[in-house]
Amino acid sequence: MVRAGAGCTPVDVDGGGAMKSFELNTTISNRRNLLESDLSPFDAVYLGNIYCRLYEQNFLERLDDLREGIARVKEAGLKAYVTTYAAPRNNFLPKIRKALEVAASVPADAVEVHNLGVLRMAHEEFPGLKVHIGGFANVYTDAGAQVLKEYGAQRVTPNYELSLEEIDELARAVDVPAEILVHGKMPLGISDYCFLLDYEEKWGIKCPTLCQLDLFVKKDGWAMRSAGKGIMSGKDVCMLEHLPALLRSGHWAFRIEAAYETPAYRQQIGQVYREALERAMADDSYAAEERWWEVVRAHAQIGLCNGFYFGKTGMEYLGVQSGALASFTGRPTAVD
Amino acid sequence: MELLAPAGNLEMVKAAVDSGANSIYVGPRGWSRRRDAYELSDEAVREAIVIAHDGGAKLRIAVNTNMQSREVPPLLEKMQTYVAWGVDGAIMTDLGAIAHVHRRFPDLVIHASIGANILNNEDVKFYRSLGVTQVVADTKLTLRELASRKSDIDVGIEILIHANKCYTYLGKCWMSPYHRLERGVDPFGKDLFKGSPNRGGLDHRVCLEAWELYNGTDLLEKRVELKNDAFFLLDDIPKLIDLGVHCLKVQGREYPVPLVGKIVKFYRELIDAYLAHPKEESFDLTEWQAQLMAIQSPRDAARTRTTLALLAEARQPVVSSAAPL
Repeated sequence: MVRAGAGCTPVDVDGGGAMKSFELNTTISNRRNLLESDLSPFDAVYLGNIYCRLYEQNFLERLDDLREGIARVKEAGLKAYVTTYAAPRNNFLPKIRKALEVAASVPADAVEVHNLGVLRMAHEEFPGLKVHIGGFANVYTDAGAQVLKEYGAQRVTPNYELSLEEIDELARAVDVPAEILVHGKMPLGISDYCFLLDYEEKWGIKCPTLCQLDLFVKKDGWAMRSAGKGIMSGKDVCMLEHLPALLRSGHWAFRIEAAYETPAYRQQIGQVYREALERAMADDSYAAEERWWEVVRAHAQIGLCNGFYFGKTGMEYLGVQSGALASFTGRPTAVD
Repeated sequence: MELLAPAGNLEMVKAAVDSGANSIYVGPRGWSRRRDAYELSDEAVREAIVIAHDGGAKLRIAVNTNMQSREVPPLLEKMQTYVAWGVDGAIMTDLGAIAHVHRRFPDLVIHASIGANILNNEDVKFYRSLGVTQVVADTKLTLRELASRKSDIDVGIEILIHANKCYTYLGKCWMSPYHRLERGVDPFGKDLFKGSPNRGGLDHRVCLEAWELYNGTDLLEKRVELKNDAFFLLDDIPKLIDLGVHCLKVQGREYPVPLVGKIVKFYRELIDAYLAHPKEESFDLTEWQAQLMAIQSPRDAARTRTTLALLAEARQPVVSSAAPL
């Protein structure tokens, strides 16, 4: 069930007030997942699955569900955002236009776009709609972010390949908030081809539930999470140790990427980050607690990494916990 | 109809021009989507422009990495130099860099690179508004989508006729640097981002690893393919010419010079033969298919060698991964 969100967090998404603190958000693909998720750790939710039109009951294809989902999230005291497809072809556009109409009419608090054609549509056809730029839009430079700001972008997730130093420079130069993926599987790519469909008969599991298996491609110590068309990091990006630095840099929009995770993952990891962010804001001597690490460890099957935030290979983990957390094998113990 | 050919060195520029390319593209070292071994120094770029122009061809400069913010001003300086030398166009990806280059050099033809991954007509209109006049079509697009683009928008369409067709959409993939990224600044101040094709040009092609598929810890399949094939277009060439696409582009700066020469010559002759044949008669591709088979075999061998080397390199530890700042 949807439970009231952490509405007490003083967040000013519009950037006009003095109460700015932080926003913790996450991703939910469909109505069932929304109803099963306890959203109490979160301030906002992105609704929709960006990888595949056939994802089970994808909000972006079921507009009544989307309408209801936006309303439910808002009733729970959270901001409701509508995401859109990462790689839309011409034949996606009519449905995206309808999703934008729903977002504008309910209304949602913002839409997330990963495609510059969709940004153009939103800007020209739905001028009142707030727009966040997603990680697949390939914002690498401040000059690029400036162009998107002129097209109405109010928040930018820079491409995941950028280091924190680059993100800081970009956000400062353009005066646009950057959203940071602080935990979860980092997107690594998007395809038009779902190789899982080749195995429907053999496994006896059909689309659209096929990609909801706990799928990883692995080879000799390498691993990536697969969702058929979407490919993500095998390790969970984890910035638990580095939250004070993120806050010091002025960032306040933080994402737990959970599109292919369980409600338990969403709630438990979300709760860890809510506590951690509140602690980091209040206490200069912040240190991540062992009980937080236990939760994080339990949900990360392959290990932890920092993505590209420190300018290194994406699957590396840096920090005092690196020895204990960079990688481990086998299925970890579940956390209650 | 422009036949656009690759050049990873000056010898290849000459071979491509001699083989009938209408235009050649080269990448300045560190600034294009190939490793630096297949890119040119600025002095060589200048010479490439001269060779191309002397042979009646145009020279396009590929500056299509997603650079760092701080690298946009140096890029503009480099472009100033190339424009002064007479470069005929720029192939670019970063939308901010495109906007700056267009403002500074409004008459320069700007091609939106394959890395910009322009997928729909609204996308094309967005890039058109930035000053882009030619758009490279993603290899996954259908003829129907291209026809819609052609009829809907005043933009030049470029088609890759020899290239890699990746599992992912090109420009929307960072699998390679997730597995290995080596930072290092070249003597001219450019961070090469080795391992990131979007940022520096070396792609470890990790998609081609012999992946196993697991459900949690249970092995489901001993081998799954994240398909990434090199392809030659043949059957579609007449249809593309009839459709009115502006440019047919051959990729392959990393291949041996004689092989690139043969590929360019093959397509030159095919295009010319098709344009010369009477429209009322059908065009028989049988003879061309046989010729292509003879080129494909050495191409496949060269590609396999390169892929194995790239995958082996991806397993090597990064000696110095400190961000060079």
